[in-house]
Amino acid sequence: MTTATDKHLPTREERSINRRTLLIGGAAALAGVVALPWIRRALEMTAPVFVARNQRYDGPLEQTIRDGLLAAGFEPAAVRGKLVLLKPNLVEPTRLAPQMTTHPAVIVAAAEVFRGWGADVIVGEGPGHMRDTEMALVESGLQDALDRSQLEFADLNYSPVAWVKNAGRVSRLKGFYFPQQAIEADLIVSMPKMKTHHWVGYTGALKNLYGVIPGIKYGWPKNVLHHAGIPESIFDINASLPKTVAIVDGITAMEGDGPIMGSAKPMGLLVIGTNATAVDATLGRIMGFDPARIGYLQLAANRLGPVDERCVLQRGERWQSVASPFTVLDVPELQGLRAPDVLVS
Amino acid sequence: MTCQVVLRSPRFPAVAPAWNACDDWKACMDFPENVLARLASADSCGYHQGSQCAAEPAALAALALMAHGRDTAALPLLDWLTARQCADGSIGVEGDPSGPGWATGWAVLAWQAAEHRSIGKTVYPSAIGRAIDWMLGLQGTVIEHLDWLGHDASLKGWPWVDGTHSWIEPTAINVLALKHTGRGDHPRAREAVRLLQDRLLASGGCNYGNTIMFGQELRPHLQPTGLCLLALAGEPATPRVAKAIEYLQRELSPQIATASLCYGLMGLAAQNCLPSRANDFLAAAGLRTLTRDPSAYRLALLALAALGQDCPMIAERRPASTTALTPEIATP
Repeated sequence: MTTATDKHLPTREERSINRRTLLIGGAAALAGVVALPWIRRALEMTAPVFVARNQRYDGPLEQTIRDGLLAAGFEPAAVRGKLVLLKPNLVEPTRLAPQMTTHPAVIVAAAEVFRGWGADVIVGEGPGHMRDTEMALVESGLQDALDRSQLEFADLNYSPVAWVKNAGRVSRLKGFYFPQQAIEADLIVSMPKMKTHHWVGYTGALKNLYGVIPGIKYGWPKNVLHHAGIPESIFDINASLPKTVAIVDGITAMEGDGPIMGSAKPMGLLVIGTNATAVDATLGRIMGFDPARIGYLQLAANRLGPVDERCVLQRGERWQSVASPFTVLDVPELQGLRAPDVLVS
Repeated sequence: MTCQVVLRSPRFPAVAPAWNACDDWKACMDFPENVLARLASADSCGYHQGSQCAAEPAALAALALMAHGRDTAALPLLDWLTARQCADGSIGVEGDPSGPGWATGWAVLAWQAAEHRSIGKTVYPSAIGRAIDWMLGLQGTVIEHLDWLGHDASLKGWPWVDGTHSWIEPTAINVLALKHTGRGDHPRAREAVRLLQDRLLASGGCNYGNTIMFGQELRPHLQPTGLCLLALAGEPATPRVAKAIEYLQRELSPQIATASLCYGLMGLAAQNCLPSRANDFLAAAGLRTLTRDPSAYRLALLALAALGQDCPMIAERRPASTTALTPEIATP
């Protein structure tokens, strides 16, 4: 299992790229800051991301997820006998808009993969816009899937909480109340939907972990986080949580007025990685965004993981071969997040 | 006809009782007696079976038990709430001082009900007064006008957490608390009523508290719509209230999740529009709740909703004759 803090073994070329980036300020400046741990880590930070195309909800998702995790460098032995928390996106499920939430088939397939590797698996979510979590489970279709697979569900909005110091310290929040399942889990699997977001451009594995924040302490919506700054709190939450990997449901994605009211965009993709930042950067490239312009990725770059394309090691499909620009609202703040030369039909 | 008796153990059974052994599960439910029995014997008063006691489930359970004449079972819950009131008058949602205090309004309703039933203790009036003082000292942050935002963000209402914007449910809870304690005409109550009316969707219902964003009307949700209609009982009928009633009547069914169903039915009861099949809906939800997750929170909501128009959360009720609803919409 690899995490943002694990040391990878980058190639000589990748090292030199990172060094060149950091040497912009001059060799003397580098000498002065290289003592900082995150700078040292950035020098060595690369991460693989696996992209699978032609995926269907009634297809062999379990095989794809297993292959993807292995290709992304995941070590199955690391979860044997461990607790794995699968965290889908169930922000406000409705049968009218299944493109909003993680499909149950992807969740169950991921659960079977980790179970097959000997892990204890639970599914947990704290829906951001609905106090009635049972309603969210029913509307999303997840309740039936959980019952069929005999999977336990943790209602993260109402679970016992513990205070954890804010390890990111970018927002003004001194710490977070995390639900016990998030703290006790040996691995958290962020399972977002691939979709646009009318405030921050698009969201994926990093923003999805807003859902571990308990509504009972932060409200519905979790407005405390909004007031603390969305990019800043996304960064801080991810910096404060241990051990995450990402499996993104991009089979039927959402474009336009996401994350709630957008339209379905069939993509047929699963995007998998052991570093959520690298996964989100890859999502953005596929969706036609410039990840370097996304606020939370600017904060995460080389601190939580690599954003620079040259440091994201592609496995499976090349992102260029599956790229299909997503429409976004026609407001300058969002249009300005697009990658140069991207045209949306 | 024989019925499987629900075994009462110190803790809820991990395995669901064998309801399918009954000839007539509705009769077997003996609704709401089984629900009340489980509620009265609950070890903890939390959101999920076996979870730690929390302010909202405790207050709702106390309300439900009192409303069904089980005062003795309610008293420990009322005292639990009293013991956890902070110096500033609030009650932390989890019963500890770390807050937030958004469930304080529910405790006010429970204490006030105890006063009405003459089982109140001398400390309750003081507790109510301190809670109201805290409540009136809290307000949502206002937001300057934004073209893409559909609601009037200058209205204060109440937030879930101090320092954040106002939302439907905490505002509705506090409107109910003010109305139940005779403060329905307080300027904060009147302003909050305007907020609730403003946050109703033109097409029917409301959600957590956004209406239109970037030109699109958002989707309604059942639970906040029901709670909103509870708080708006006795207020002048508006087209959006009528639309909200229509939305609930259209969407509520036996398959709806327990909390959403109960709040929806309580909202309709408060507006004199309870569907004739309400008890069937509740019996189905009760069966699911008893077999899946008989938490005090859900049991309390079931017991409260089962009271129909006698639900103690209804502060004021608009007489049926003065409603602007058409006969085919209003199905008392």
